[in-house]
Amino acid sequence: MIGRPAAERVPGSYRDPSGFVFRRDGVLYRQINLRIADDWSLFSSSGLHAALIEKGLLVADEPAALDLAPEPGAFEVVRPEEIGFISYPYEWCFSQLKDAALLTLQAQTLAAEHGMTLRDASAYNVQFRRGRPILIDTLSFERARSDEPWKPYRQFCEHFLAPLALMAHRDGRLGLLLRDFIDGVPLDLASALLPRGTRWSPGLAAHVHLHSRAQRQHAGSGAEASRAVKVSDTRRRALLDHLRRTVEGLHLPAQGTQWADYADQTSYTAAGTASKEAIVGRMLQAANGKRAWDVGANTGRYSAIAATAGYEVVAIDGDWAAVERHYLALRSTNERRIMPLLADLADPSPAIGWANRERASLLERAGADVVMALAVVHHLAIGRNVPLPMVSELLARLAPKLIVEWVPKEDPMVGRLLSAREDVFPDYSVGGFRAAFGRDFKIVEQAPIDDSPRVLFRMERLD
Amino acid sequence: MRLLFAYIDPGAGSLVIQAIIATVVSIPFFFRNAIRSMVAKFRGKPQPVDEKGAAPPDPE
Repeated sequence: MIGRPAAERVPGSYRDPSGFVFRRDGVLYRQINLRIADDWSLFSSSGLHAALIEKGLLVADEPAALDLAPEPGAFEVVRPEEIGFISYPYEWCFSQLKDAALLTLQAQTLAAEHGMTLRDASAYNVQFRRGRPILIDTLSFERARSDEPWKPYRQFCEHFLAPLALMAHRDGRLGLLLRDFIDGVPLDLASALLPRGTRWSPGLAAHVHLHSRAQRQHAGSGAEASRAVKVSDTRRRALLDHLRRTVEGLHLPAQGTQWADYADQTSYTAAGTASKEAIVGRMLQAANGKRAWDVGANTGRYSAIAATAGYEVVAIDGDWAAVERHYLALRSTNERRIMPLLADLADPSPAIGWANRERASLLERAGADVVMALAVVHHLAIGRNVPLPMVSELLARLAPKLIVEWVPKEDPMVGRLLSAREDVFPDYSVGGFRAAFGRDFKIVEQAPIDDSPRVLFRMERLD
Repeated sequence: MRLLFAYIDPGAGSLVIQAIIATVVSIPFFFRNAIRSMVAKFRGKPQPVDEKGAAPPDPE
């Protein structure tokens, strides 16, 4: 059509033939296809759509003009509420994934009360909005038919239960397996990796170990076996209740890691901390943005300052235990403007899935006004051997404004990083730092932190 | 027999094991709910049904 901006399908939205999400003129829309018209009508008329939105389980949407539909077969077009920052399950800590799993089951329960059921239970259907998980796929619901099994059972176990069980019973880092397995952790792999003792936990024995064995046994028996399966409504409710109990029963072992304890053992004195907090707060005000990325956020001391200054914050840290602690702390308060995210700046989440476009890389999702890099440059430059000009270049890709802390070699934390290795960093000096960052940024102000050799800089990208 | 309409593959083995697990767990599920409704009747006030309150409610 002439004069109308071209529609672009969101790359990750192709699996379900019932509809897809696209952008036109920067605005996000969802095309709903005729093939799901009956379910879509029931979704409204049963009151489920309104109930899900009212309870904060599903993003709201509003009707849009049908002729916006970019492809044939459209029944309706809606304009969903947009999520500020899109995150993926492999960037969530244990409790974020667990809350997303429980949200999915809660939506299923509500759907059942309205005569409907979930068609899928993908972890990618969940996003975090204002600190809490929320479903984003309005097309996930269909009419419940009596005696039909719960079709998303396998997907729920692979996307949620298996990684949660591995994190709880083996290692908190195993959530990162979702980065390699976009369709969820294969149950045979989960079963092999889980400690033998989990065979005695009824939930994991059933939904992971026996489930995996059944998949193997029935690998060749396609349609016949599956068509004969009937699950009564009561049994389906019992199954879902059991899944919920199993998920709720998973907990991380109480243990700190290197980083989770780090916030408590920084090199600052009380005066130094107060000084740093005051300077960061002032610099954030001066930067005058709306969205901040706090890279190397640890448990979020300075993310909280950014939130107080009015920013929406993505608080990134590479240590799962720090992200876990941060998320739990935020969940117990009313702070909704901070999204803790598990990612390593030296190895940010790659683009994955079909054509490497299905799930965007972390850098592709950068959209902040300000990036805060506090006490992080030395970890990259010395801990990870990244030359300072490359650190600067990466930070410049993230946001036009930067608040960065310079930690000199005489600082005890740098001393600790260098304690067991040769100092191969002759350029690691404030002069080298200024020269490296001066290639990408203009230094607007600098402020030494009281009682500390460290200095905070506020910079603006040279465009 | 009716085909199972699903755009995701529910997996033959997953369907078979789901039916077995659902049968087994429906027994304690039934008794738990029966006890709860009895307690509710006895106390004279409604108790939340077992499967509700799955996730902490969003206080927004």
